[in-house]
Amino acid sequence: MSNFLFGRYLPGSSWVHQMSPQSKLMLSFYFVVVIFFANNIWTYAALSGLILLVVLMSGVSIGYFLKGIRPLIWLIVFTVLLQILFSSGGHVYWHFGPFSISDTSLINGGFMFIRFLLIIMISTVLTLTTTPLAIADGVQTVLRPLKKVHFPVDTLALMLSIALRFVPTLMDEMETILNAQRSRGVDFGSGSLRHRISAAVPLLVPLFTGAINHAENLSTAMEARGFTDSEHRSKYRVYRWQRKDTISWAVFLLIGILVLFIRKS
Amino acid sequence: MDQTINFKQVTHTYQAGTPFAQNALSQVSVTIAGGSFTAIIGHTGSGKSTLVQHINALLKPTAGEIKVSGRTITPATTNKNLKQLRKHVGMVFQFPEKQLFEETVIKDIMFGPKNYGVSDEEARLDAKQAMGLVGLDGSLQDKSPFDLSGGQMRRVAIAGVLAMKPEILILDEPTAGLDPRGHKEIMDLAEKLHQQQGMTIILVTHQMDDVVDYASDVIVMDQGKVVKHGEPKDIFSDPEWVYDMHLDLPSAAEFACRLITAGVPLKTIPLTIDKLADAIVGVIQGGQSHE
Repeated sequence: MSNFLFGRYLPGSSWVHQMSPQSKLMLSFYFVVVIFFANNIWTYAALSGLILLVVLMSGVSIGYFLKGIRPLIWLIVFTVLLQILFSSGGHVYWHFGPFSISDTSLINGGFMFIRFLLIIMISTVLTLTTTPLAIADGVQTVLRPLKKVHFPVDTLALMLSIALRFVPTLMDEMETILNAQRSRGVDFGSGSLRHRISAAVPLLVPLFTGAINHAENLSTAMEARGFTDSEHRSKYRVYRWQRKDTISWAVFLLIGILVLFIRKS
Repeated sequence: MDQTINFKQVTHTYQAGTPFAQNALSQVSVTIAGGSFTAIIGHTGSGKSTLVQHINALLKPTAGEIKVSGRTITPATTNKNLKQLRKHVGMVFQFPEKQLFEETVIKDIMFGPKNYGVSDEEARLDAKQAMGLVGLDGSLQDKSPFDLSGGQMRRVAIAGVLAMKPEILILDEPTAGLDPRGHKEIMDLAEKLHQQQGMTIILVTHQMDDVVDYASDVIVMDQGKVVKHGEPKDIFSDPEWVYDMHLDLPSAAEFACRLITAGVPLKTIPLTIDKLADAIVGVIQGGQSHE
């Protein structure tokens, strides 16, 4: 678990770190959409080049980056294998029962592999360079148009930022409870399935009661500090659109248009 | 069984090999004598909690080895067969009331012994005995632990550890957040276990008064290293050094230092209130302090 990179924040002051969170969020979303338009070697090359540039500019070492996404590689390989073995068409090299390997299926499998990798890379860059609170703020900004249809954007943003804030706290508590129960002779993660499930009770009950206590204390503290509702609030952290955002969008849009032109129609 | 705990060149790095790597212990070599009452002090983040979690192998060293209860823990030690070790080493974490989960107090206290294969009846006896030790009223046994007050919950949690009859008891800030009376009761309990049952007690604390009142040995930690190990009077003999370590003097010693600055001729720095009183009486009765 400790070398799992996805969803963690790595402090820094690179170009990517300094961009505003709403533009990073939208940019990642846009990039994922563009990935699905890519369908030949040149389009994938352009997108891979772009991602490489982003990773370099984020200041995270590539070796560490690759190590961090290694835990996901089995999922990708499994999906790619299914794609290779079950798709048909083109020149068939080998077949056995329902399985077959052809040149098209190999190429499609390869593309799918790159596609997965690109999506994971862009989202990892996003979470590595943006604090969870900034992501919550970004989500709030991005979802603001939904207010028109009476979607409770502010409440959602508040819940999101509280949830994100408590993830590390609850993780720490889980660790402590885990260790405390281990000291009392609980064996986590060994034995039969039934044994393992019952071993989870001494962990889950304290974790839930702890979370309920946190919620109670937090809501009391919030009320005591004058919180009435999430609609009528001012903001302390304001993220402005900067030149960096404009330039990044320009580059991404250009690559997007390029992909549309050179894709196999 | 020999209760001596021996750390040999123990290093511990959290999340080794990542940008989040943090060195918590570096090359710690220290021996905690069996049957001693050892206090571990040091300012926040100095590695105290990391050190004590090595004693029952919740954490394993990144380098070096630990000998405890006839076992040697090295970086290669696997998680198998650690249960027996954890029975010998009871560990009371900070805010231990967070670990309660059963429907009734007695069931929660029985949980530890039952994990070690003790029969229901025997576990119940152990639990009742432990409740008596920590001063919990027998009528509470069928209540839900979540209905109790904070201080009572903490005692239930401590009883749950004592019911396993450990030989070494580690207390990580056992009195944090308790009122003065609860504080004294818990500390007196530790003292009683040490004196009557010969338990080795290891106490992690920020309360210097507890250190001088109860401990026979003190280990001072700073930035992941053991910087001093000795009796309380050796540790607190140099106030300048104590302040350098971001620690406080026991209140009696601090008061004595102020008296000395104000010109009262105390010869030594007394560590407890009683000794301070003696020293002041000594000064009044002819300018000589006891000791």
